Amino acid sequence: MHIPDGFLSAGTWVPGWIVSVGGLGLCIKRVSSILKDKMVPLMGVVSAFVFAAQMLNFPVIGGTSGHLLGGALAAVLLGPCAGAIVIAVVLTVQCIIFQDGGLMALGVNVFNMSFIGAFLGYYIYRFIKSVLRGNAGILAGAAIAAWLSVVAASSFCALELAVSGISPLRVALPAMAGVHALIGIGEALITCFVLSFVLKVRPDLLYNE
Amino acid sequence: MDWRGFLGIFSKHDRMHHPYIDKYSRLDSFMHRIDPRVKIISAAFIIVSVLFTKVSSPVPFILYGILLSAFIALSKIPPLFILKRSLVVVPFAIFVAFFIPFFKKGEVVWAFSLGWFHIAVTREGVITFSGIFAKSFLSTICLIVFTASTRFSVLLKAFEKLKVPNIFIMIVSFIYRYIFVIVDELMHMKQAKEARSIKGGKIFHGRALANMIGSLFVKSYERAESVYIAMCSRGFNGSIHAIHDFKLRFIDIFFSLITLVFLLMAKTAAG
Repeated sequence: MHIPDGFLSAGTWVPGWIVSVGGLGLCIKRVSSILKDKMVPLMGVVSAFVFAAQMLNFPVIGGTSGHLLGGALAAVLLGPCAGAIVIAVVLTVQCIIFQDGGLMALGVNVFNMSFIGAFLGYYIYRFIKSVLRGNAGILAGAAIAAWLSVVAASSFCALELAVSGISPLRVALPAMAGVHALIGIGEALITCFVLSFVLKVRPDLLYNE
Repeated sequence: MDWRGFLGIFSKHDRMHHPYIDKYSRLDSFMHRIDPRVKIISAAFIIVSVLFTKVSSPVPFILYGILLSAFIALSKIPPLFILKRSLVVVPFAIFVAFFIPFFKKGEVVWAFSLGWFHIAVTREGVITFSGIFAKSFLSTICLIVFTASTRFSVLLKAFEKLKVPNIFIMIVSFIYRYIFVIVDELMHMKQAKEARSIKGGKIFHGRALANMIGSLFVKSYERAESVYIAMCSRGFNGSIHAIHDFKLRFIDIFFSLITLVFLLMAKTAAG
């Protein structure tokens, strides 16, 4: 889902950059007012954790393997703003070091994966948690949030490609959302497993506002 | 050699040695010596100008190719390494761009039908496809040449000089400092798991890997807290000061001028 340069029109990547820089600024302001000077080491080390966690490949059907994307997981553990910052930082480093996603497309990629992933994921999680009490609610909420955030991010990706005139929406949307509906199952399972571990060991680390 | 290697404690993965990050950034070449600020601005200019090129003739793209090949030659980085890295765009290109020739409306150059199944390749579609492919390939190569020839810490300093917010730079520099520590931790856990678990299905292994990620999160969080306390005890008050010593030399200005001339040439060639 990391969009390389060349696929998006300027009418898409320029607004993408503006929205992402603005949104990131607001998130940083919000988080640093809560965490104060603890923010930098905490966000930095946790970003390195997400980076490392994404390197671990999970066995999927057949001989293929997939890895964690972590948008919803980060939001559940750290809250939506901090989660969005962490994913955005990871995407930036992946873009600069591994060329995973283009430099000009970075704004759009941050919007899709970090903002949609963390914020949409978080609010779905919170809604389900408020309906279903206890650990079951947390795990179910996180799993559904993880699945939906992956599907939503890929749908946005399809929409942006369609706006750029790359592929018509009626082809791109079902293809992207369909593939990511499958990827999302893996994401939901991993998120659920990771959270059930954290709930057992350090339940106090989960984000509570 | 670090002290762990010296003590003879070797693991499958050498500790703190993960060469996928800035592998060739410590070479000494013309490209490596250019002021990193000039490099960042040139890279951005080249990529933007590649993206805005009209896809009417192949000449501008050939010019960009010549410019980037010259940079690769000047950087002493093995071209094969850059080529391999640039393959990162291929999966996306195949998944998304492959269908363009079939969907773009226009003059049909190749058609095929089998009963109700019709397929047609249009001229416009093929041109758009090759344009996108050339653009994404060239901009990726450009990013690789410039970032692979600059040390990551220096790159961050240059971004800071270019007025990227300090707090973002500090978080990213923390990633660079701790990624090796945390990846090491993960590799050790993985090695320990592989040494112990032979049997078990996919769910079992998936669960074990997820538990690893969970415990890695707890460990990282606790590490962050102790790092913070250590920083506080050394007088950290929210900002990091580093010594910057970039100096614009004649060769940097020359480099930017040559790049600019090439971009203008490509622009006129595109018409």
